[in-house]
Formats: sequence, structure tokens, C-alpha cells
Amino acid sequence: MFHWLEKHPFFFAVGVFVVIAFAGLIEIVPNFAQASRPVIGTKPYTTLELAGRQVYIKNSCNACHSQLIRPFKAETDRYGHYSLSGEYAYDRPFLWGSKRTGPDLHRVGNYRTTEWHENHMMDPAAIVQGSIMPAYPWMFTNKADIDTAFAEQLTDQQFFGVPYNKPVPMKDGTTQTVKLAKSVAEAHADALAEAKEVASKMKNQDVKDAVARGEIPEIVALIAYLNSLK
Amino acid sequence: MNKLYLWGIIITVAMLAATYATVGYQKGGLNGDIVNMLAVAGAVALVIITVFVVIKYVRQMQSDTATGELADESWDNIGEYKNPVPFGWAIMFLGTIVWGLWYWTIGYPVNAFSQIGQYNEEVKEKDAQFEKKYANIKGQELVNMGESVYLVECVACHGLNADGNGEEDAADLNKRISEKSVKYVVNHGSNNKLLGNEMPMPDRNGLFNANTGALITDAEIDAVAKFVAGGLKDTNSDGAKVFAGVCSSCHGPDGKGMEYVAPDIATWSKPLIENVLNYGKVGTIGKMPAMDRLNAKQKEAVAAYVMSLSEGE
Repeated sequence: MFHWLEKHPFFFAVGVFVVIAFAGLIEIVPNFAQASRPVIGTKPYTTLELAGRQVYIKNSCNACHSQLIRPFKAETDRYGHYSLSGEYAYDRPFLWGSKRTGPDLHRVGNYRTTEWHENHMMDPAAIVQGSIMPAYPWMFTNKADIDTAFAEQLTDQQFFGVPYNKPVPMKDGTTQTVKLAKSVAEAHADALAEAKEVASKMKNQDVKDAVARGEIPEIVALIAYLNSLK
Repeated sequence: MNKLYLWGIIITVAMLAATYATVGYQKGGLNGDIVNMLAVAGAVALVIITVFVVIKYVRQMQSDTATGELADESWDNIGEYKNPVPFGWAIMFLGTIVWGLWYWTIGYPVNAFSQIGQYNEEVKEKDAQFEKKYANIKGQELVNMGESVYLVECVACHGLNADGNGEEDAADLNKRISEKSVKYVVNHGSNNKLLGNEMPMPDRNGLFNANTGALITDAEIDAVAKFVAGGLKDTNSDGAKVFAGVCSSCHGPDGKGMEYVAPDIATWSKPLIENVLNYGKVGTIGKMPAMDRLNAKQKEAVAAYVMSLSEGE
């Protein structure tokens, strides 16, 4: 075997590559797998939050906002604890972003409120002086796509093993269970219940009326998603 | 003269000439630039050393003959002499082993680069700088610091005028408390850790008016709300009587509060504001999140700033 390899330098080179690559893999892969497990306190998205996440993607929020706090004092002072890989365990796709025209949003739920988002999405410059962010008034009238969000939840659960309907550990030692509806109708009902909670803290009468009628405007889903970013 | 030396001299001269030509024709040339001169000196040294070394080994190849005892083993018909390891190599070999042991046991585990370790060091360093720089900050400087923190952290909800957009988004910080808030707190009770610990205030079903001996009524709530929101100034009003009968047992006759019992509702105070920053607050307007990422000095500064807003009233 080794005599043969010595006489065939090409295959010898291939052998060397395989050995070194294997050594690299067993060093890297287990650590990587460990780091990308969900951290304690990370829970799957609810239907409404996922619908909001789709609104976020649809409006390309990630073109200007990152969701990745780097371990620098300047960033953690402003945005909170630096991001951990495991916090993205249920993000498909992740929305790290590569450009910050606006601020990072990875923990925006910690320091912004429903009311703040509502006013801000309608007219950012009125809330943040000198803001160049455009207004998103159509989110107050467009309806969120709950069907797709539910389909995504089902896919996440069945193909990627995201723990819906299973207890997930929280930071305070308790567990929380994120429910996955059994049917589309149930998903709509659950999302609406959640939307009512968000809308109860909102001021916009059109949005409140729409939720009372059983519709879910995009802004409600988006705020539910942003509030879940902690 | 040996032909080899002749070639060596020719190649040296040619390479030096090429170096000179290349550098000399650059814009600016050598013109006293120390970096350029060093680079050229390095190039010249390299050329000369290279030619010298090549000549040495070519001559050795031409004249050397192998001597010594052949080893018994033959690897694919390649023989090998039993030469002692050259001293320099032996030193390097042993040195590598020693370095390897050090690297495995101490070098890598103790000195390994860690992004988070670097971050922790940065935080420690910056915190120490901050502590040192602002250890004795007070007066107007502290208020200014508070304003700058306010403009980053608080302005989003409380607004540039600190009136919380007419109390739509957040509390109006220009006065201690608004009528709306007093009514809400009396109706719903409150437990906002304003004293730093759990200390619930009962809702209206637990608030007796000592003057009438009955539960507080809607009319009394309106009156006392007006009185408290007015800064407890109008001491002859109905509200003042209700306050004396209902609220003063905990909040004190002057509304300044009591330690461990009830917060100051007459004026802003440092511990009050610091506790709101520490624990957040839930009230009639909404939920204020805890701002516990501010450090102690920043909280003190925000308190000083907020207190400065209602000064002189």
C-alpha cells in the first residue's frame, strides 16, 4: 500500500489531503455543531411572528438593518449583549445583514415598544430626528400572509425538527411551549388572538378596527416579530 | 579565473544594474527617501548573498565525493550514509520538541486568542476609564451627561421635549406625575419596585378615606388626582383633604414618601428614577422596559437630568 503510494505521487497527494482534511473536520465540526444549538431562552417563532418576519424580508428591512451584534464595547453598549450563534437556530434564513444604514435590530424588542414601532413605521423622521428611513404606511393596510407563515412553521417542524409543541427552556429556569396549530383555520385563530394583544397597545384606529374584524394588517405581524427579537 | 566566478560577477552586475535601472527610472527615484534606500540596499544584499551561496554549492556539487559508512538498510534501492546529525540540526530538533510541549500544555490553552476574551478585556478597560474619568462628576456636568444619555436612550419614547409626545408614548418628565397617571394608579394599584423592592400599592378597593371611613370614591379620585398632579400645592382644595385622608398615611403628609413604604410623589428623586431605570415600569401609558444596561453613573446622570427638568417650578 505505502510502496504503491510512494510510486504514485498524485494519489499520495490525494491521501495527504484526505488525512489533513479529516483532522480539520473533526476539530471544527463538533464545535460548530455545539455553537449552533439553540441557546437557553431561544424559542421558535409563533405564526404571527413568522408572518411578521416575512413582512420584514418582503420589505427588505435586512438591506439596511443587521441582526448581528458584534462583541465590541461600542456595540454592546448600544444594542445589548453580543449575538450568539445559537440564537439563530430557528432563523431560516438568518437575517444577519451586511450593511448598517440603520441600527442593528437583533435585540430591538428589549428597548422599543409596540407604540414606538407604530409611530415610527408611519413616520420615522417624526420619532427619530434626522432619520432617513422611509415611511411604510402600506403596512397599516396590507394584510399579513398567515397561510404562508403557517406553511413555513409546518416545514420547520417536520423537516428541520424545530421544537413546536415542545417545552423550550427559558433563562429564568421555566419552560415555554410554542404552539403549532393543527389546521390552517386554527393557525388563523391563534394568530388573531396574538394580533389582538398587540393591537390593544396600538393607537391607529384603522388597525384596531381591522383586527376587530378578524383581519391582521402587516404592521401588527411586524411589530409582533420585532418585539420577539430579544 | 574560475568560469563560475566570472558568471557570478556577470549575473551580479546585471541584476544590480537592473535594480538600479528599475528604481532609478521610477518617479522620484531614490531621492533621499529612507524607505526606498533601505529597500534597494536590501535588494543589493540579497543579490550578492544569493550569488555567493549558489557559487558555493555549485562548486561543492562539482567537487564533492561521498564518503563514510553506508547504512545496512536500503529504501527502494536508495542508500544512506551513517552521518552524525549536524549540531545545528540537533539543536533545532530538540528545540522543536521543547516548544511543542510548551505549546500543547501552556502556549495554546493559556494564550489562545479568543474574540470574547478580547471583548471582555475591552469592556474592563473602558469601564475603568469611564470610572476614573467621571468619578467626581457632579452639578451641571452630571446633568449634561444625563442629557446625552437621555438623547440616546430615552428620547425615542419620552421625546425631545421630555413630554412623551403629550403622554401618548411615555410619561411627561417635566412634572412628577400627571392626573391620568394618578387616576390609573389609584384605580389599579401599583407595584413597580419604585423603592427597589416589591411594595404593592392597593387598588381602589383597598384605599380607605380616613375622613369618611369609606372606600375612595370616583369624585374623590378626580379631586386627589388634580391635587397631586398640581404638585400638592393647593392645600385648601378638596383634593388636599382626600390626600390627607387616603394617601398621606403611606406617601406622607407632604407627599415626599416614606422609606420602604411608598415613593415620593411630590418631586423626582434620585433613588426613584434609578429604580425606574433598574426595573422598568408599567402604568397607564404602557410598559417602560428596564434600562439596566446603563451603568450606575449613567443612571445617576439621567436622574440628575430628569430632576433638572422640573426645577424652578
